[in-house]
Amino acid sequence: MTTQIDQALSRTYDAGFISDIESETFAVGLNEDVIRRISAMKNEPEWMIEWRLRAYRNWLTMEEPEWAHVQYPKIDFQAISYYSAPKSMKDKPKSLDEVDPELLRVYEKLGIPLYEQEMLAGVAVDVVFDSVSVVTTFREKLKEAGVIFCPISEAIQTYPELVKKYLGSVVPRSDNYFAALNSAVFTDGSFVYIPKGVRCPMELSTYFRINEQNTGQFERTLIIADEGSFVSYLEGCTAPQRDENQLHAAVVELVAMDDAQIKYSTVQNWYPGDENGKGGIYNFVTKRGICHTNAKVSWTQVETGSAITWKYPSCVLKGDNSIGEFYSVALTRGRQQADTGTKMIHLGKNTKSTIISKGISAGHSNNTYRGLVHMGSKADGARNFTQCDSLLIGDLCGAHTFPYIESRNPTAKVEHEATTSKVGDDQLFLCQQRGLDAEKAVSMIVNGFCKEVFKELPMEFAVEAGKLLEISLEGSVG
Amino acid sequence: MLTIKNLHACVEQKNILNGLNLNIKPGEVHAIMGPNGAGKSTLGYVLSGREGYEVLDGQVDFQGHNLLEMTIEERARKGLFLAFQYPIEIPGVSNMEFMKESVNAMRQHRGEERLTAAEFLKKAKEICKQVQLPLDFLKRGVNEGFSGGEKKRNEIMQMILLEPSLCILDESDSGLDVDALQIVANGVNSQRDGKRSFIVITHYQRLLDYIEPDFVHILANGKVVKTGDASLAKQVEKEGYAFLGLDNSEEVTA
Amino acid sequence: MTWLQQVIHRGQAMNDWLSPVRSQALEALRNTTWPTRRTESWKYTSLAALEQLKLTATEPATQPSIDAIAGLNSLDLVFINGELQTDVNSLSLPAGLHINNLQSASAVQRVIATSMFAQIKPKRHLFGLVNDALANDVLFIDIDNGSHIVQPIRIVSLSTDGHESHHRVLVRIGNEAKASIIEQTQGEHTSLSTGFTEFDLGQQAYLEHYRLAMHTHQAIYFGGCHFCLHHNAELNSTFIGYGSQLSRTDIDIIHNGEHAKAKLNAVYLLGESEHINLHSTIEHAKPHGTTEENVRGIVGDKASAVFNGRIHIHRGAQKTQAALNNRNLLLSRRGQINTKPELEIYADDVQCAHGATVAEITDEALYYLRSRGISRSQALVMLNFGFIQELINQMPNQQLAKWLEPQLRARFKEMEVR
Repeated sequence: MTTQIDQALSRTYDAGFISDIESETFAVGLNEDVIRRISAMKNEPEWMIEWRLRAYRNWLTMEEPEWAHVQYPKIDFQAISYYSAPKSMKDKPKSLDEVDPELLRVYEKLGIPLYEQEMLAGVAVDVVFDSVSVVTTFREKLKEAGVIFCPISEAIQTYPELVKKYLGSVVPRSDNYFAALNSAVFTDGSFVYIPKGVRCPMELSTYFRINEQNTGQFERTLIIADEGSFVSYLEGCTAPQRDENQLHAAVVELVAMDDAQIKYSTVQNWYPGDENGKGGIYNFVTKRGICHTNAKVSWTQVETGSAITWKYPSCVLKGDNSIGEFYSVALTRGRQQADTGTKMIHLGKNTKSTIISKGISAGHSNNTYRGLVHMGSKADGARNFTQCDSLLIGDLCGAHTFPYIESRNPTAKVEHEATTSKVGDDQLFLCQQRGLDAEKAVSMIVNGFCKEVFKELPMEFAVEAGKLLEISLEGSVG
Repeated sequence: MLTIKNLHACVEQKNILNGLNLNIKPGEVHAIMGPNGAGKSTLGYVLSGREGYEVLDGQVDFQGHNLLEMTIEERARKGLFLAFQYPIEIPGVSNMEFMKESVNAMRQHRGEERLTAAEFLKKAKEICKQVQLPLDFLKRGVNEGFSGGEKKRNEIMQMILLEPSLCILDESDSGLDVDALQIVANGVNSQRDGKRSFIVITHYQRLLDYIEPDFVHILANGKVVKTGDASLAKQVEKEGYAFLGLDNSEEVTA
Repeated sequence: MTWLQQVIHRGQAMNDWLSPVRSQALEALRNTTWPTRRTESWKYTSLAALEQLKLTATEPATQPSIDAIAGLNSLDLVFINGELQTDVNSLSLPAGLHINNLQSASAVQRVIATSMFAQIKPKRHLFGLVNDALANDVLFIDIDNGSHIVQPIRIVSLSTDGHESHHRVLVRIGNEAKASIIEQTQGEHTSLSTGFTEFDLGQQAYLEHYRLAMHTHQAIYFGGCHFCLHHNAELNSTFIGYGSQLSRTDIDIIHNGEHAKAKLNAVYLLGESEHINLHSTIEHAKPHGTTEENVRGIVGDKASAVFNGRIHIHRGAQKTQAALNNRNLLLSRRGQINTKPELEIYADDVQCAHGATVAEITDEALYYLRSRGISRSQALVMLNFGFIQELINQMPNQQLAKWLEPQLRARFKEMEVR
């Protein structure tokens, strides 16, 4: 029976095609000149160059973290190209009609139609291809509501005051090794500003794609929800199937002002490498949101891709009564290694956080939940509830749980629970006896296991996530 | 003994008691009946001072004192006893330690000497017998692993031990078979001495067959809508609350 | 010279038959990077007090005496400042029980001991290595196959004011043998002590074990209990920790045979500015093992507690059942609790769970007690103590519990209750 499950899990990566698009790509290597060139490509103002260089100098003094439960050969940061853009982007298209048709075909293959008329109703999309943002849809409509949704490179030019004020305010330049690297070399990403009291009229969405060989992708996302506003933001990622590892080191900063709410959902499907662990994306991501009084930040992630995932979307609950949420499904198979979780930093009074983490390990993979719940000395009446469940499929994988709990306040309450279970032969037998095939049975059991998280995703994403899991579990079972 | 005037109270910003009046004289037994959500249990919690139950208006006089100004333990020491519908389990704190501390808290309040361990044990053993609980219950954690019926008997045991002047029994009959019901009722009746008063909150007439009430009050939407003698309970048993113009769904589920 | 350099220096000067073990430990110590707050297993514990420590040995006016525990009728073995005081050769022992000081043990005993000594204790414990290097007297308790030793064996290790001491115990419990061992370590005033014990439980052996770390708050203490469980062996262990200026205890339980069973209960109770760092590691290396671990702590005043409870299920250790529960009460605004239950699982057909809470006493329990006339402060004391009483009640030796309880109560009274 176990071999059936194994077979069920060996599937090919659907988004693994390579696109033949002419690109302008920097030679590999990193130094101050490269950073100046990136900055120059983007026509950045002087303060931005300075900001990047300071981050770079910081990074040079830092050491690559080794505490995560992942193993990979040392990354040669001089063997990576830090900038790649489709040639046709040189004269930035004014509308979709001017976009290279080959590029549009890439997104069609990925199932992300860019033409507005083909779009799922009410989702505005920003698309980042290698190092640049290719297109942002629905901008005009958003503008009417006062919402700013544009590539961050553009925001640096157009809204320098906002960017200056908030960039690095949640994830400081020297926060950690990969955040420092990102701060030095980030090339593009999305910028969102929701004005006071505005409920963003549609879901905002960004798709990230790494195409070029030996390139790293370092995108930067900054979302500011002003007082009393609301936004739901979706992020999806894919990369071609290549034998070499590719580095993705993104930074996402969320600012939720008083009474604001940000819902951030991710479906991450970077190329995970082949069954022997060759190739795949190294995904080292820093995501953090700050909540002011009565604000709420909610992270939902479905992680099925990447060779290595190192990612801890976090909430700093600074304001009284603020709320942080983290809902996660992480599926690893083959030789994938995931070390993911969250940090809930309770600083304000009556702050609340909920953590629901579902880890599914299969094949030879290792899946780790790592989380921190911190109750500060002023967090009177703060509450946290954490539930971490692991599902093991097969006896060659690993499932691990490392929760850190720190309490400094006698009135705060922290509850953490973790369990493990397996897709049992008896469960499979039962399903099969009732006429289901093993593949369907596994996917049913896994979907049931993840239900609590899927219900947090926006509708279209929930469908996509469910399908993604099903595909991940697909194979020749019978 | 107890005079409640125009009592309004809320829980989590929801009004539960809406102008409740009640007057109880020494030695009287008052039964309180009513459909679910009428505020029966809330009344017990408000009178005992449970946190989260906010009094919005009204007065409660208990033996000449303003009850609402007292802390939970002051009310208990002045003789107010609430037998809980769902007594909580407290593992690690033994029943013995718990009851001894309670008894001595009462005695101290009355200016009496603390009971020695031996004196307490003697008394506790007697009452254990009376409510038919095995002696090893004293050693176990408070209500820890007790069955529903054992928990109820444990409440009656505490009532007998603490010798209160006003006993509020919150559905002390729910979930009990006939034998257990009799034990509970006998325990209550043994404490009727013409001075001690009782508020018996119940869904069913059944308990009132054993504990005969002087008055029966029907509670609905947070106030007393009808008061009568024991026959009122029998009428409710037979006809439900419909004759009062109240929703009868209570009886369907009963 | 740093503290570690001094240890190495002194260790080099020791010359006895344990030298091979010592030189290995010294080599490891030479290659050690001294832990800082960035070292994962010392994240919440500062070792600065060690470097600042000035020990001035004062000789007590009278030789300290160890009181017997009423009703226990234990066989008492006493270390004072690391020196074994009990004349082990003059003890009248029940059949099947052998007690020796390894320094003067027979060649046969040494051969038995060599296969276990410093082998069960994992090499990663820094202060275990210090103990390897510096412990002189090594108590070796050897129980023959099939022997049931009814009399509890109590090992007391006392460190007096101003002294540094290192005591070491090795216990072998033969196949199908049974024993009850109580380890009581006490540090008075300003003292520094390390105490490490290794236990080898043979097939179907049963051990009832207690480690009572009762130090005064100026003491510095590093201890460890390391158990190797063979096929069908069963361990029931209770740890009670007081915490002190600086204290750390490592408990390792290795399921080295199938169908082994372990129960570990641990309690820590801290006040003033005491600190405790308790690490437990359960290694399920073989299938069908069972572990049940309950850890409870109360932290008052300016005290800080660290608990790290790791359960590691090795590849192939199928049908393991392991559960860890850690509950904490923080009584003061100035106190700190840091806890990390860890699961590391490499087998799919297992049942593992852990839970951890940091919380205050529930309002409901408090209300119940107050509704019976008990004052709020008294109710808090009762409920807080009840929280640990539950584990004390589970101690198989209730005579010992009876002796322990008033001491814990007294300690608890001193703690700041809100």
